[in-house]
Amino acid sequence: CQDFLTESPKDQISTDQLLGSPDAASGLVNGLYRDGQGAGFYNSGGFGGADVMMGGYMSGFFDNEGKGERIQGQVAQDLQVDPEILNQFFDGWWSGHYDVIARANTAIKYIPDMNGFSEDERQRLLAEARFFRALNYFSLVKFFGDVPLITEPIEGLTNIEVARTGSDAVYSQIINDLNWAINEGNLGAQPFPMNNYRITQGAARTLLADVHLQMAGYPLQASEHYADAADAARSVIQAGQHALVEHGETVEESAYNKLRTSDVDPEFVYGIEYNPEIASNDNPRITIPGVIRPPGINYGRTLNAYRPIQEYIWAYDPDVDLRVQNKQLFHNSIEREGQTFEFGEWAPYLWFEEEAIFETGLGGRDIRVYRYAEVLLIAAEAIARSEGVTQEAITYLADVRDRAYWQTDRSAIVAELNGLSEQEFVEEVWKERLRELALNFKVWSDIQRTRQYPVTDEDNKGEIIFEDVIGHSNNWGQTYEEYHLLYPIPDDEIQTNPALEQNPGYN
Amino acid sequence: AVYAQADSKQEQKSFISQASVFNDSDIRTTNTVSETLKQVVTVNYHNHTLRYALQDVAQKAGFKLSYIDQKVPMEKRISLSLENVTVNKVLWKILEGTGLRFAVSPNNHLVFMERMMPKKEVKLESVSGTVTDASSGETLPGVNILVKGTSTGTSTDASGEYELNAPSLQDTLVFSFIGYQTQEVPIQGRSQIDVSMQLQTVSGDELVVTGYGVQKKSDVTGSIGMVSAEELQEQPSFNALKSLRGKVAGVNIFTNSGSPTGSNRVVIRGSGSINAGTQPLYVVDGVVMQDGIEYMNPNNIESMEVLKDASATAIYGSRGANGVILVTTKRGDTASGDVSVTYDGSFSVGQMASKMDAMNAEEFMEVQRIGYENAPLFDDYAPGEEPQLDITPDMGTLFDDAGNPLYDTDWQEEVSRTALSHDHQIGVQSGGEKSSFGGFLNYTNNEGVILNSWMRRASAKIVYDASPKEWLSLGTNLRVNRTWENNIEEGGGGQEVRRTMVEFAPILPVRMPSGDYSHFNDVKSLTLEGQPNPVQRALEEDRLRDRLQLFGNAYLALQITPNLEFRTQFGVDNTNYELRNYQPTDLESPATSVGSAYVENSETTYWQNENYLTYLQDTGSHRINAVLGASWQQRMYRDNAVGVRNFPNDFYRTNSIDAATEVDGFPASGSWDWTMNSFFARGSYTFDDTYSVTLTSRMDGSSRFGKNNKYGFFPSVGVGWTASNEGFISNIDAIDHLKVRGSVGRTGNTEIGVYQSLSTIGSGTVLLGGGRQNSSAPQRLANPDLEWEKTTQYNIGMELDLFNQVVSFEADYYYKKTDDLLLDRPIPSTTGFDVVLDNVGSVSNQGVDFIMTTRNVQTPDFFWSSTLNFNYNKNRVESLGKEDEDIFPGPNWVSGSQTILRVGEPIGTFYGFKRMGTWNTDEAAEAADAGRIPGEAKRSSDRQIIGYGMPEWTGSFINKFNFKNFDFTADIQFVYGSEIMQEFLHTAEDRQALTNGIATQLYEAWTEDNQNTPIQRIRHQPLSGQNTQADTHWIVDGSYIRGNLFSIGYNFNQQALTNWGLQRLRITASLENAFVIHHPDFKGHDPEGTSWGGNPNSQNIFFYQYPKPRTFTLGVNLRF
Repeated sequence: CQDFLTESPKDQISTDQLLGSPDAASGLVNGLYRDGQGAGFYNSGGFGGADVMMGGYMSGFFDNEGKGERIQGQVAQDLQVDPEILNQFFDGWWSGHYDVIARANTAIKYIPDMNGFSEDERQRLLAEARFFRALNYFSLVKFFGDVPLITEPIEGLTNIEVARTGSDAVYSQIINDLNWAINEGNLGAQPFPMNNYRITQGAARTLLADVHLQMAGYPLQASEHYADAADAARSVIQAGQHALVEHGETVEESAYNKLRTSDVDPEFVYGIEYNPEIASNDNPRITIPGVIRPPGINYGRTLNAYRPIQEYIWAYDPDVDLRVQNKQLFHNSIEREGQTFEFGEWAPYLWFEEEAIFETGLGGRDIRVYRYAEVLLIAAEAIARSEGVTQEAITYLADVRDRAYWQTDRSAIVAELNGLSEQEFVEEVWKERLRELALNFKVWSDIQRTRQYPVTDEDNKGEIIFEDVIGHSNNWGQTYEEYHLLYPIPDDEIQTNPALEQNPGYN
Repeated sequence: AVYAQADSKQEQKSFISQASVFNDSDIRTTNTVSETLKQVVTVNYHNHTLRYALQDVAQKAGFKLSYIDQKVPMEKRISLSLENVTVNKVLWKILEGTGLRFAVSPNNHLVFMERMMPKKEVKLESVSGTVTDASSGETLPGVNILVKGTSTGTSTDASGEYELNAPSLQDTLVFSFIGYQTQEVPIQGRSQIDVSMQLQTVSGDELVVTGYGVQKKSDVTGSIGMVSAEELQEQPSFNALKSLRGKVAGVNIFTNSGSPTGSNRVVIRGSGSINAGTQPLYVVDGVVMQDGIEYMNPNNIESMEVLKDASATAIYGSRGANGVILVTTKRGDTASGDVSVTYDGSFSVGQMASKMDAMNAEEFMEVQRIGYENAPLFDDYAPGEEPQLDITPDMGTLFDDAGNPLYDTDWQEEVSRTALSHDHQIGVQSGGEKSSFGGFLNYTNNEGVILNSWMRRASAKIVYDASPKEWLSLGTNLRVNRTWENNIEEGGGGQEVRRTMVEFAPILPVRMPSGDYSHFNDVKSLTLEGQPNPVQRALEEDRLRDRLQLFGNAYLALQITPNLEFRTQFGVDNTNYELRNYQPTDLESPATSVGSAYVENSETTYWQNENYLTYLQDTGSHRINAVLGASWQQRMYRDNAVGVRNFPNDFYRTNSIDAATEVDGFPASGSWDWTMNSFFARGSYTFDDTYSVTLTSRMDGSSRFGKNNKYGFFPSVGVGWTASNEGFISNIDAIDHLKVRGSVGRTGNTEIGVYQSLSTIGSGTVLLGGGRQNSSAPQRLANPDLEWEKTTQYNIGMELDLFNQVVSFEADYYYKKTDDLLLDRPIPSTTGFDVVLDNVGSVSNQGVDFIMTTRNVQTPDFFWSSTLNFNYNKNRVESLGKEDEDIFPGPNWVSGSQTILRVGEPIGTFYGFKRMGTWNTDEAAEAADAGRIPGEAKRSSDRQIIGYGMPEWTGSFINKFNFKNFDFTADIQFVYGSEIMQEFLHTAEDRQALTNGIATQLYEAWTEDNQNTPIQRIRHQPLSGQNTQADTHWIVDGSYIRGNLFSIGYNFNQQALTNWGLQRLRITASLENAFVIHHPDFKGHDPEGTSWGGNPNSQNIFFYQYPKPRTFTLGVNLRF
């Protein structure tokens, strides 16, 4: 009777069958685009804001109207991040990232021996799997510090308690994976959307540049990596595939509005793809404060979940910087049926989709994780650090700033940058990162690696000075200590894995 | 042999179970003419007696004679002369005119039996007599006497005397009187019959259905609770489980909803499982009914037996750990060749039993106003820029010129109704010596108190049983049950009617003057949560669920030897389910709703084949009852589902989903099956009616477990000692019956999903490159060692009847420990998985089941009995995963998991913050450090254990009164030692101005003059955000006392019935859920509920409820 009791699944396939099915193997890689550090991390469904917004809340520069109900925003501003209170929240990150890593490990282990692929396809899938393994490890090592480094799929219940591996080893693995992807991966050269939203050369190199930049700063301070960051960023620039989007005729057609309304342009290096019918973007919901109810609004409830507070807005000089004008990166009012609704605060405009808000309730714009503007800024900083304030470095920074200072001559911008010391120039890059990448979630990573807290001035808008973050207070009156620069490992994970030690400061 | 006259109930039960074996004589019928009967003989009698003739033939043929003088007219004289004819023919000739037939047993006994006679001419015979109480000798007036199988009957007069005309002196009289055992007395030619009636419940003589057979209650060593048809009939009900409520100690039935199809959660002796389901196993007429017990027609039920301890449940092995409920349904009538017809009907009127204290329009606006006033306290408004409440946009439509609301809608009133329900069943039963037939038709229309919630049921059942040969019986039983339902969502925390009936703005009318339903955004001047109009939602949304269940079995039983029977049966349960949801195009508002439909079909087919041998031996001092068998089962499932959206209008609904323009989610399908193979054995032995022992074991194999652990073994042993049969106790007058029982054994639980031991790859699609691309991901880590949950249960019980049964009680103490819990054991997520289903951890339950009945007054005119039953249960998590780490099993809602599993605590332990009140003005600085202002909730910084959802004490106190032909029942139920997490306080009280809420948010809110309150200062959520967490303020004592049922019945006098040609007529009037006394701080509709029905940890955690009705019912039971 043994056969009578044998289980043979009908609506799932067994792991053994995977090896004989190229479709399942490519599906294994396809799924990596959405999970872990993917779509789930960036999508803002409700009161809590997207996971990726946590850094903005930690920096004290962004506020979430829904924080009373989902506490991560509140405890981040209060600097009361705690492995128990935020257990579920961080466990979502941690397990989501490792889920993708495990699937990537499975793909990387089995795809090399599988039949049914062309050689090009095989290499491309492996390169994508390595890209996502690197992306997720980078996120983990940046936010949590030393983490268990696992590069083989775990297929049984033995040896599942893995201790933390030193950050440098984790970074080495990340760099190996990315170099493999770049050199062996047969990745497309075009910008991301033109490459059917699959990982490109440019995406892998940009991530590599970002990784090196982060390594060069705190906590590793491996400053030799500035040169590597410069190389990687420069290789993207020199490939000539990417470019900044240019302004159109009017402010409504500014580059920033083009980034808002279009997905296909050469500035798009890597991002999260959305589509109203298949996977909709919920960010339009969080572009209007809840109390503002213009007629016909198609979300039962909106909220300003990633509100830049005044101290952030002061980073821009409103006299010269197009980005801080109403309806560029941010907005503070909405017109509807001839009536103007004033918010009394700023809300992200980059994610505002008229059609989603007033017709379908389903956003469709992609979220850009890496833009070419960031590549230029990484290059400028890394070159200045490794080669000095060269004309090349100045050019890259000026490219970004010139687009923002739309009525200022480029020569004046360049002139101001000429003759700056290395530190002065790098701080100018940091300022530009703060302003340009405001809605690209860089503020906390930058504070982590520079250990500098940007301080703005209501009376001198556009002026930013950088002060040591440790001992500094955030905009909500709470003081940073060193341990705040890493998140706690979620309590659940510590409980289930006795080999793990908590980050200091959280015990 | 003429069979000993059995009580009809016994006969029926043993017939149903088919475990009965004819052990009083070994017989072979004349239908198979044996070789001996074919012998050729010659006989010659001249006015000889029958005795002589029979002895002569017996001697010639080599038979031994067996007869009872009374039956065979031995002295009758016959003359007969036959040459060279068979013995068979001779015997028939001899018996001509005696009404007897004959049979030859295997050991050559010649036996005689009464022969079915053709209808005789009707010549009435008069019978009379006196009926008395057996113990007191008093005469009993009002006793009903019925000629069995007819509608002829009468009642005793004031002096206990009766007289009636029976069709024949061979008939049987049935004497029945409330509070006394019904007696059947064969007339046997007498014209004077005096009867003394015994009080009901002489312990030990009843037959108990035990699974794969029946046993005398006195021989049972397990703990079994019983509910008879009479008890079930006291309360006309639409749902079988509801009638079981409060009737059996240790069986807790949580009725978590007032909806017609609301789920009942049944927990027997505490939750023994965390992950693998806590529902008992339902076995209906021998066939497992996994789903649908709540949809079953309760009128069909003859009795229910609840198997509680291991001695009773071990026969169901791996599926017995949560207890077993055996349902026996009605079959054909074995009484006589006549046909009886019954009608049972009821009509009921239900109304919402309680209302929540939602604010009216004026109070609602007051909260808005104060919210605006308080806004500057929370946010950084520059002086002069404070937000102002400006209602001018709604002037004329919602407010008059003075700013007063034009409408004041009580949405609870608007969305509820007086529910009118009715239920009808017609039964036809007939039977005779060799076959019986039953046919039952039922129609039910059950309305809910919320608009447009209803359930209709049409069911038919046909039963046919036949015993064509003495050694062969067979039968079948087929039930078709069709239900239609429109359901109100009762789960989760969304914008459902049960919530919006409290929270939808009272300043809106049901319909605007234009005739359109009002929408939340018809209010221009306020920011309100996007909620659908509750009346519109109830009336215009479809949530249709149709079920068609074919359920039945067929059996064949062979009498191999007089003591040994073989039985094989094949059971099937096939359910087709169709779910059709439609949300109309302007449900939330014309702008935000597009019309969406979702359709799901599934089919579940289950079959089981069981084969077993039953051996019965009764020698007077030794009784043996043994069962040995094997079983195979398979359950197969498949489903298809698709959703669409964007309909042009609301015409098509789910009837033409292709009218929609978009697919909403990808079409999906699924399919799985599981199998089981089992071997089981049970032997019980009773010596001298006093000492009993039962050994039971079952070996189960299940496909759902790891390949290393497919089979599990589940043994039990039970002993019983009827001490009252011992001389030293039988001498004590006060003690009528005393029995002590003990048992120990192991049962299992297999209720987990399929494939859980395998590592599989699940497939779907993801967005990539502008379209869907296939996606796959491993589902879990393989665990080839996965096996059963095992529950070891110890039980000690005592039955005691005192003072001539004035007091009888039964008490059981149990301890049960479930080990190897099938638990999603958390593993390091670095594996890529969060959990693996593994056998870790254990949970214990210990407690007491107690039931006591006292007969307080017992006179011929007035009878009063009281039954107190209760269960005390203490649940404790004994161990969890490897490190005993806490597990957060949900439900996940505000503040995360609302419960925690922690060693030392019970299942269903609430988890959240402690609210120490509110920050007062003296604490402003301290509050500021915590980022708060005075008036906000003051909470602990960490979450902690804040309450317990499962009650420690549950029970009922039932009083029954009989006065002449009237009977009254007062059924009070109680729960003590549980708490409630009032999740609705999150939006109804803690969060203001975004929706309506309950009045405490206005009247008991923190103000500078009212600082000693747990309720926060009014804070305008859209302007100032909110501060709400699951905390102790949501927790309230969950103890309650419920007036479960008050009913009055009237049984018509047999004399009157006879005139009308009826056998039985009873009418009842009852009031259900008459009152509930609960803690004054409880703010919801009913103190029993859950909004997270799928989660076994979620008892008493709810975010609003479908209100329970108070129901008045008129019922009638008729038989002719």
